[in-house]
Amino acid sequence: MTDQTHIHGERDLAPGQDEQHSVGERILGYVVGLALALLLTATSFFIAGTDLVWQPSIPVALIVLAIAQMGVHLVFFLHITTGPDNTNNVLALAFGLLVVFLVVGGTVWIMSNLNANMPPMDQIMMRQ
Amino acid sequence: MLGKLDWSAIPFDQPIPLAAGGVVLVAILAVLIWVVVKGHLPYLWDEWITSVDHKRIGVMYILLASVMLLRGGSDAIMMRIQQAVAFQSQGYLPPEHYNQIFSAHGTIMIFFVAMPFVIGLMNLIVPLQLGVRDVAFPTLNSVGFWLTATGALLVNVSLVVGEFARTGWLAFPPLSGLSYSPGVGVDYYAWSLQISGVGTLVAGINLVTTVLKLRTRGMNYLRMPMFCWTTLASNLLIVAAFPILTATLAMLLLDRYLGFHFFTNEAGGNVMMFMNLIWAWGHPEVYILVLPAFGIFSEVVSTFSGKALFGYRSMVLATMAICVVSFMVWLHHFFTMGAGPNVNAIFGIASMIIAIPTGVKIYNWLFTMYGGRIRFATPMLWSVGFMVTFIIGGLTGVLVAVPPADFMLHNSMFLVAHFHNVIIGGVLFGAFAGFEYWFPKAFGFRLDERWGKAAFWFTFTGFWVTFMPLYIAGMLGMTRRLQHYDVAAWRPWMIVAVIGMAVLSIGVICQIMQLVVSIRNREALRDRTGDPWDGRSLEWATSSPPPVFNFAFHPDVRGEDAYWDMKVRAQQQSLEHEDPEYHDIEMPRNSPTGFVCAFFATIMGFALIWHIWWMVILGGLGAFATFVVFAWRDHDEYVIPAEEVARIDRVNLEERRSLVSMAGAI
Repeated sequence: MTDQTHIHGERDLAPGQDEQHSVGERILGYVVGLALALLLTATSFFIAGTDLVWQPSIPVALIVLAIAQMGVHLVFFLHITTGPDNTNNVLALAFGLLVVFLVVGGTVWIMSNLNANMPPMDQIMMRQ
Repeated sequence: MLGKLDWSAIPFDQPIPLAAGGVVLVAILAVLIWVVVKGHLPYLWDEWITSVDHKRIGVMYILLASVMLLRGGSDAIMMRIQQAVAFQSQGYLPPEHYNQIFSAHGTIMIFFVAMPFVIGLMNLIVPLQLGVRDVAFPTLNSVGFWLTATGALLVNVSLVVGEFARTGWLAFPPLSGLSYSPGVGVDYYAWSLQISGVGTLVAGINLVTTVLKLRTRGMNYLRMPMFCWTTLASNLLIVAAFPILTATLAMLLLDRYLGFHFFTNEAGGNVMMFMNLIWAWGHPEVYILVLPAFGIFSEVVSTFSGKALFGYRSMVLATMAICVVSFMVWLHHFFTMGAGPNVNAIFGIASMIIAIPTGVKIYNWLFTMYGGRIRFATPMLWSVGFMVTFIIGGLTGVLVAVPPADFMLHNSMFLVAHFHNVIIGGVLFGAFAGFEYWFPKAFGFRLDERWGKAAFWFTFTGFWVTFMPLYIAGMLGMTRRLQHYDVAAWRPWMIVAVIGMAVLSIGVICQIMQLVVSIRNREALRDRTGDPWDGRSLEWATSSPPPVFNFAFHPDVRGEDAYWDMKVRAQQQSLEHEDPEYHDIEMPRNSPTGFVCAFFATIMGFALIWHIWWMVILGGLGAFATFVVFAWRDHDEYVIPAEEVARIDRVNLEERRSLVSMAGAI
């Protein structure tokens, strides 16, 4: 947030704003994104039902594929790039991720703690 | 046909709400008739109701907040009197009525006083401070305001048609669930917050976009006035936190309307999840309110000390630190509800940490004043009063952030005193400081200083006399929301508090008198140059009130305190006297979209509360059709010709030149 970023800020793009690409290039980008998204989706469905891989690795593989899927959406459909015209979008994404992480992570932690400390009456009886 | 609505909804057996509602209804009718008979309706419609001018919308937000402040204040007076008389007796308010009053008081003061007041000030001032002609989405801005007004209207309708929630301002289940609150009270609460919540969210998106994308030439992030920074932080919090509120209330409504089990005791519901989610919104909410107030104090303290803000960069850092850490403390609202020591300790520490950036701000304001030539005008009085008051509120806040102490003080009057101490001392004093400070900008004349100072001293004294006894009563074990009590030791403090309330009310009357007197003497109080306080930021660089296009030219900013800088340069070089070349200006056209949308939203909200399903569909379709019509519009801008711009701008330029030449002569 120095003078430097402001000069970039002048050219900052809003989501949905036209970029400096020809129509052909843009269509190509969307097609590649769609293909990647379909590939990742198909792989997820395939992995979930297969017995070709070590079974305990399946949940991890699904998580990795899901994150890759998010990445594909961000890059090809929401046009998040690392370029200087994208500072606001990247910062907004980072802030959003931070808040989601804090709220969801905090909630899981708090609720599991509450559940452990305050079980239903019958479980308290069983402990004694 | 009319769902649950019939004549039993109107409380003929309860004189107080009926009389109050009747008086308000008559007053509204009288005003409407006066407006129509005098022929003001076209003016009102063209210049205000359909206006998409950020200044007009800001003024309407503040007007809404002021009216609702009177409503919420009457609730407060009724509660203080009840607690003063209800010692070993039932007092004058029956329990179910008393419960509605404290619920309505909290809901109104947070959602329909504090929120619209700060959003109104941000709307009014931020585009001016950034040196631009409007906000990013002018029509959306109008939609946001009118949806907020819809929420306020529904809350007030509950006074005469049906009832309001008896659950407290956050409507915790299972009390707010269908089995314990079968009436329409909680539905009134939830739907008015859902509708006004949409309004707040679009206001937030609008202001974030405005600060990030619309700044005048040279106005980079580290040259923005402090109020713009706090606006950015506060609206980022709105955008991040209000969806949590919407989702939580939606789940509560699903429980109530469609038999879901999110927050019920049976069938796998979890009541604590509501507590967790509502406070995950609720704590950022208090910073949404107080950050803009911090911004106002920064502007006021710097202007009236005649100095640049001390530690500007540390102030920016502190603001953004509060913005992030405010999402890491919400559990401190329910320390006592069964979390383990690890969780409580972490959140307790986080709550204490958030006091550090706030402390940084206090020291920065003090050092701004140090060595300055301080003028104690009314806005400055509110600011100094804030510093004194807010420090006490902050310290008691750090006290209840310690989990073992909180186990003693949770839900006690100590807590009530604490949050009134920070919200009145912080947000309300800030709102009043901003009101006094920017009133000349909005209307072109100053407010009367004598009545303003009287209002400050009565409000300030009244606040201390009302709320310090509540701290003591809390220490003596008094819990909040008591309809009556039998402990003799609490009684004297309740009586002192009601006396304080009387002093506070005199403060409010002085504030009203100040408006009346100032409007009468407006010619004598006229602000001709647009810079009544010797200001430092760009809102003072245009006339008061500013023309619809704000600035004839986009100001060129070369440093912090942009306008101060310009004034210094103007005095050194003597303002260039050749006439600048004016250009046509395009401005957004007025649009009734906001008002019509809110009209249908009101119908829909009312119908949802009373289960009138055909009307729900009607309202929903109407609102959607309004949106479609707006989306298909052909012309949304009009042109102000260059001659008109020149004519308006020259008047102000003349006044300023005479001021500069006078200063030069001295």
